[in-house]
Amino acid sequence: MKKLLALILALVMVLSFAACGETPEEPENPETPSEGEELTAENIKIGFIHVSDPSDMGYTYNHDLGTWKMAENLGISEDQIINKYNIGEDEGCATAIEELVEAGCDIIFATSFGHGDYMTEAAANHPEIEFCHATGAQAAGSGLSNYHNYFTSIYEARYLAGVAAGLKLNEMIENGTITADEAVIGYVAAFYFEEVISGFSAFYLGARSVCPSATMITLKADSWSDPVKEGQIAQSLIDQGAVIISQHSDNPSPATTAEAAGLFHCGYNSDMAEAAPKASIISARADWSIYLTYAVECVLNGEEIATDWCKGFSEGANFVSPLNTAVAAPGTQEKLDEIAAGLVDGSVHVFAGPWTGVHVWTGEAFECAEGEWVDESKDQSAPYFGYILEGITRLDA
Amino acid sequence: MTYENVKKEPFVRIAKRPEVSKRNAMLIRFSSVLVALLLGGLILLVLGYNPLAVYGDIVKGSLLSSTALKSTVKIAVPLLGASLAIAPAFKMKFWNCGAEGQITVGAIVSTFFALKLVGDLPRPVFFIVTFVVSAIFGGLWGLIPAFFKARWGTNETLFTLMLNYIAIGFVKYLRIGPWMDKGQMFPKVPMFDKAARLPDVLGVHLGWIIVLALVIFIYIYMTRTKHGYEIAVVGESVSTARYSGMNVPKIIMRTMFLSGAIAGIVGWMLVCGTNYTLSDSTANGYGFTAIVVAWLSKLNPFVMVIISAFLAILQKGSNTIQTNFGIPASASEVLTGLILLCMLGSEFFINYRFVFRKKTVGGDD
Repeated sequence: MKKLLALILALVMVLSFAACGETPEEPENPETPSEGEELTAENIKIGFIHVSDPSDMGYTYNHDLGTWKMAENLGISEDQIINKYNIGEDEGCATAIEELVEAGCDIIFATSFGHGDYMTEAAANHPEIEFCHATGAQAAGSGLSNYHNYFTSIYEARYLAGVAAGLKLNEMIENGTITADEAVIGYVAAFYFEEVISGFSAFYLGARSVCPSATMITLKADSWSDPVKEGQIAQSLIDQGAVIISQHSDNPSPATTAEAAGLFHCGYNSDMAEAAPKASIISARADWSIYLTYAVECVLNGEEIATDWCKGFSEGANFVSPLNTAVAAPGTQEKLDEIAAGLVDGSVHVFAGPWTGVHVWTGEAFECAEGEWVDESKDQSAPYFGYILEGITRLDA
Repeated sequence: MTYENVKKEPFVRIAKRPEVSKRNAMLIRFSSVLVALLLGGLILLVLGYNPLAVYGDIVKGSLLSSTALKSTVKIAVPLLGASLAIAPAFKMKFWNCGAEGQITVGAIVSTFFALKLVGDLPRPVFFIVTFVVSAIFGGLWGLIPAFFKARWGTNETLFTLMLNYIAIGFVKYLRIGPWMDKGQMFPKVPMFDKAARLPDVLGVHLGWIIVLALVIFIYIYMTRTKHGYEIAVVGESVSTARYSGMNVPKIIMRTMFLSGAIAGIVGWMLVCGTNYTLSDSTANGYGFTAIVVAWLSKLNPFVMVIISAFLAILQKGSNTIQTNFGIPASASEVLTGLILLCMLGSEFFINYRFVFRKKTVGGDD
């Protein structure tokens, strides 16, 4: 009996691996772009890959708002848009993209960084379809003309939110609620890499520009979207002395955690004052409709989409939510208006010195002198500012 | 008549059913699925969706297009593999809740080869080597709790469960540390080279052939071999096994090695055939869902094929309804959970029945 078993197993192995000997290249997809029929706003099909769903009231919610605004701008009907929600940064993403291809999409957007590898492969396999990946950085290096990256210079809006946080810290110091040394910002980070680091550095520099004694502590969630963990991290930061919470994660749970603790918060993606009216001061937001409209229009007009697209505050691609005056320190709106004007006319630079920092990967120390600044998102849409500034402590790094 | 002395018969009590015919058992199982669908439909109605349309889309989104069908098969294959892996252990009443970790360990060693050695070996050799090595390491990971159980009688449920988190924690370390994709500076393991990816047979990686072969292997092993007999005896009574001169510790360790080895092969399949990379969620809960499959199929490998396929359809289908109807992920999880609960619950009704208190004529209680 044992021999029989061994025989069967051996046979199967041999048969299986015989298949490896055949041509390793998979056959090209036989699909060809539908010729003859011209793409119009009435027949174009648009696919989206989202890492969560709009019920997150955060990143996906905000990106979805952009989708519908784009549809309105271009007169595209609801049934021409296929949304794939809750697509993880794993093999499920490849399947979801294939299903969008199968459904006849002419342009496919993916919104999360970890979708990048699958977008790269799909773009190579389907040259007739345009692939646009938010926050990623693989398009330029891939050499594919149908593969594009996009992001907004959200660090500008974060800088503004940071200013509002700094003014709140000042108010707390003046009231005697905290001492100057206790002006600690807690930051819920999804991961530690450039996109997130650029964000919290901008926020910190904004806060420090008005409150020089401000410091920041961070903890990472190791996930873009994990409502429970984000809330727990916010609580942990509060327990370790943070009096204002901000976040680079998708859910408003840090806002509600700050509210429950009687503290304050600055949000991201959606106007989180809706979730935490007594805590959330202001939120940095992106308006994705600007890019989505641009990219879809390019496809309709048969024009090339930019390989790297990054627009900023002055183009309206990012903005801050209306100031929650019930919570913000008096005079905040005036200060924000002043700095916003500076961002638009180019007199305010977010990553302006003086600061010192250590690069997160290379460990190289860098000093940015007064009057100098570091550019961000200039050559590539995905953020690449990777210095951990003095004054910011990653508690779990 | 004093009330104190009369023990009132409870309104309802649970009694063991004497003997249930096969036909009745099937009837109960079938109606449990119906009840689940009805309950699920009710939830969908409350949420404001058309249940028929949603159920239709579950079928459509998991079977009725080539991409959908392929991806359903890609879910069913590792699930079936994991179920086959735990079957011998469960037969022995060794509760191996560690398939998740054993899969992960198999995946880790395969990934090591895929990242470091892929160019150096001819492709078939590469796959045979990774196949064998992942089986060995998965088996060793399964051997650890078996050794402790055989030697010191430790609780295998907790032990295997805890080992899962060690394996997954190690993946996290590799992902953030030595195996991080240097090109992206994002804490993830790079995608495998094309040469390290299992070739497709009929559109799905050839793992499905191996898993089907394992179905036959496990069936023969459990029912037609001395090993299988020993496993069954140890499962029924360790004392009996010992009195009849069986080497119980050896049987426990050998069986768990086999169990872990098959799980390790599933891990190999997942990274080389499906994901082409390693992540914390490579095992994706297959090791746990396999326990459900094992119970529902009563450890019969052929029934496992059907149950795994059914659960894969549910999983893929529930992804689809999230997309098509915008049903939140949690709601579609509730739906699948409900169906599973009813199916498992039906086993209760096959073995037991409710006995209601009979009306006593003229009684004044």
